[in-house]
Amino acid sequence: MQRTLSPSGLRMAALLMFIAIYTAYSAGPFVWVAMMSLRTTTEISAAPYALPETLHFWKFASAWTESNYDTYFFNSVTIVFSAVAILTIVGGMAAHCFARYRFRFKGLIYLLIFSTIIFPPQVTVIGLFQIMVEYGLYNSRVGLVMVYVAIQMPVTIYILESFFARIPKDLFDAARIDGYSEWAIFWRISLPVALPAISTTIILNTILLWNEFLYAVVLITEDDKRTLPLGVLRFLGDQLEDVGMIATGLMIAIVPVVLIYVFFSERLIQGMTAGAVK
Amino acid sequence: MTASTQPATVATPPRKERDHANPRSAIATFLFPALLIYAAFTALPVMRTIYNSTHLIVPNKPAEWVGFTHYIELWNDNIFWKAVGNTLTWATVAPLMEVSIATILALALYAKVPFSRFLRVAWFTPVLMSYVVVGILWMWIYNYDWGAVNSFLRWIGLDGWAQPWLGHPDTALPALIAVTTWMWTGFNMVVILAAMSSLPSEVLEAAELDNCGWFGKLWFVILPLIRPTLLNLIVLSFIGKMKIFDLVWVTTQGNPLWATETVSTYVYKRAFQWSTFDLGYPSTIAVVWFVIVMAGVLALTRLFRQKDKLEY
Amino acid sequence: MLRTTAMLALAAGIIGNAASAQEITLWSHWADQASKVEFVENAAKAYEEANPGVTINISWYQKEPLYAALKTALTAAQGPDIFYAESDQTEYMQNDLVLDLSDKLNWDNIEPWATEVWGYEGGVYGFPLEAWTVETYVNNAVMAENGIEIPVAGMEGQAFVDAVQKIADAGTTPLAQGVGDRPYPGAFLTHEILVKKLGTDDYRSLLKGEGVAWSDSRVKEALDYAKQIIDASAFPASFSSIKLGEAHRYFHTSPGAAMLQMGSFYPSRAFAAPDEGGQPDGFDLGIVNGPIPDGAACPECKTIAVGGSFVVNASSENADLAAGFLNSMATPEMGNAWLEANLVGTGIKSDASKITGENADYFQKLAAANEGAKYTFGIPVQQMQGTPRETFTQVINQAFPAGLIGVDEAISMMESAY
Repeated sequence: MQRTLSPSGLRMAALLMFIAIYTAYSAGPFVWVAMMSLRTTTEISAAPYALPETLHFWKFASAWTESNYDTYFFNSVTIVFSAVAILTIVGGMAAHCFARYRFRFKGLIYLLIFSTIIFPPQVTVIGLFQIMVEYGLYNSRVGLVMVYVAIQMPVTIYILESFFARIPKDLFDAARIDGYSEWAIFWRISLPVALPAISTTIILNTILLWNEFLYAVVLITEDDKRTLPLGVLRFLGDQLEDVGMIATGLMIAIVPVVLIYVFFSERLIQGMTAGAVK
Repeated sequence: MTASTQPATVATPPRKERDHANPRSAIATFLFPALLIYAAFTALPVMRTIYNSTHLIVPNKPAEWVGFTHYIELWNDNIFWKAVGNTLTWATVAPLMEVSIATILALALYAKVPFSRFLRVAWFTPVLMSYVVVGILWMWIYNYDWGAVNSFLRWIGLDGWAQPWLGHPDTALPALIAVTTWMWTGFNMVVILAAMSSLPSEVLEAAELDNCGWFGKLWFVILPLIRPTLLNLIVLSFIGKMKIFDLVWVTTQGNPLWATETVSTYVYKRAFQWSTFDLGYPSTIAVVWFVIVMAGVLALTRLFRQKDKLEY
Repeated sequence: MLRTTAMLALAAGIIGNAASAQEITLWSHWADQASKVEFVENAAKAYEEANPGVTINISWYQKEPLYAALKTALTAAQGPDIFYAESDQTEYMQNDLVLDLSDKLNWDNIEPWATEVWGYEGGVYGFPLEAWTVETYVNNAVMAENGIEIPVAGMEGQAFVDAVQKIADAGTTPLAQGVGDRPYPGAFLTHEILVKKLGTDDYRSLLKGEGVAWSDSRVKEALDYAKQIIDASAFPASFSSIKLGEAHRYFHTSPGAAMLQMGSFYPSRAFAAPDEGGQPDGFDLGIVNGPIPDGAACPECKTIAVGGSFVVNASSENADLAAGFLNSMATPEMGNAWLEANLVGTGIKSDASKITGENADYFQKLAAANEGAKYTFGIPVQQMQGTPRETFTQVINQAFPAGLIGVDEAISMMESAY
């Protein structure tokens, strides 16, 4: 007869155990908030961890209409969309420039831009606040868009540059012989060829900016200009006791990002892992 | 790895590109918008903050030069040093936890445990949520009366262990570190998995032949090969934790007894919540912190590079 | 460059104003207190009707987000015309951010003490809409169950400690309280004891850091007494995270507590319908004074605070209109209307005895608890600034009542903060 448990079997059992515990820790909170979002506060306080008996989908409608969520959602969508659009064009142009041309101080300029990745945000946020006031961009959605473009610029350039650099040079030489202008080369060759990398940066920037909080809280004061993370926090304050309703509010903030993830998970992972894997 | 051993390739002068590889006007056009945005929204604010740090900046009055008094005051500011201690603890503990747990998880997926596709999604999802959402959710989980942690402890009969997790100075910081670990481990796992998947299969086959055990294969073959990735992740996580603000702001705001005060929250408090309205002193904190973070990152890369000749 | 921009903005503002109707903006706390919102909005409506062409645009906030928004907006010279402030915020006056109202408001209709609280270097800066005292609210039913009766004038020395212990032993929380979102309620217990122990003058100099030091032996005795009460399990275990609104609910509904030390703004949350977070129907509420330490210099001393007030932005282009609006609320009629609607005191001269109807009873109890009282003006955070204030918030408001630190530690932390 075999021994009941070989050492490697034990190890395997331990690993599976670990995986089970970790999965509960990792997915549990999300499942819990999803369940609470469909239950009323009375039901929750009676049994915080029970399954929903009746699914109260009306709560989503009510959180949406009664709490200015439509405004916050719209603001988040416009701000993030504009910032990502500008980022893609401006970052793409710069990345193309770094990848294709040689010029003086190229290394230095690249290093300068790239080094902002490790800047702690507080070193910019106070000066930024003062400068935005002077530009007349304080408490304005346009101002927030510009700041978002600035903070995501280094990563965008980094990802796109490494992709552009891999496009075969022959393609560009051929285009030049065909009489393409430099701009046309960028617009009609670099961008289309690099579409996978570009969609990666778009998804990555969308998710990071969708969740951004610090700059929004410093630069926006007016309720009508707030983005969703600020809205969620305000919602928390307004609903003090109403745990069920807050859970619904949280779900509204989570769902769009999860949807993006479901549709673009491969691209997203590529984007987020770019740079970390060698 | 290559630079030190193959100086010959470096010494070779770069091949001259064709003429139109340097069209000045095109370079200027392509680079200008990015540089403008960089100058206006990154470089200028940073310089402004540095300027602030030697001035008293209050509304309705011109900035007043105070020399290095802010710096001296900072040296004697107990709350600042407490915040530095907390942030450094966070920035050293969290990366190690995240990367080591992530390695085990990645390995499990690499070894093709059942349901791996589902597990990958389940582990990765937390990183998609905003810190605001995460903060509120975990405040509930740590709630004394009905939070998940205490409910679980009571359920298994350890009533005495139930705690106000975010309310006690000994448990508040570890509790928040557990939250960032929850959030970021899945991300690290995905990166490590990608690195493992790109390992040349011959190496692993060779290990099979050598009759390495499962553990031996991990320790002697896989880990050394993905070491650069692991170190990169540690640096990334370190930088992230040195900046941490949102989570603390939503949950504890630095309470209790500054046990969760981080440098970022303290800067924000001093700049936008303190009764003095002065922007000079918080700028000083920001500048000093900037130097510390820089030094930390340089030290880490230097350390790792020496040991492993890591390439960036 | 800054100055040019500001002047341009100012010029644009003046031109813009001449051409269009005038709008006064107001930012205020009280988003979750319906009766106060209604009171101010009604006053605004009346003012708009009396002054055609003027509109008042009010944004309601929670207190913390309001303060955060104001700090940045005022620094940016972009604040609203009128905003909510409390008398501790002397930084507004220090930095010339608010307007001196001494010749703009009808001060005859404002209580002298409320005027004094808002005085700063010869000017008067705030319109004191709300005023409150620190009271100990009692759930009479729980007290009866435990056979305890606390006299309206307060209970002395060891007797109070024993009462707390007895209630705790019976499985009920003696004092509901929480500091999850405010920098002061956790300190009510300690500071009401301190003011009684020291008397108003010495208490004030302790807070200001002038004269009486935290290492004073009377301070230590007072803190020792507070510590005895705290160690008798006075507060809920979740004290650190309970928010102000939750502490109310904790007291009157679930799980229920024997007492709640709270500002007399208690009714503005608790007298709502039960499903909107108010007291259960038929709740038997009592009002008494808090514990009195042995050897108290002034057993009848307690705290009165000017709470929510309105101030006018110094850079407002509609300052006169804004002051006019505040003046429209500074009448005895409005004072009584405030009392009646909100059940909390006001700095406007008013007469609580004129109030009839279902809440007359509440006002009688409140008056009884304040009979012969001698007041100190302002809770601690209203008299402290900078590092002492931050230290107070963390130490006396939170760590000490939560039982995380002892008396000596608390004293040495406060001592070194000044």
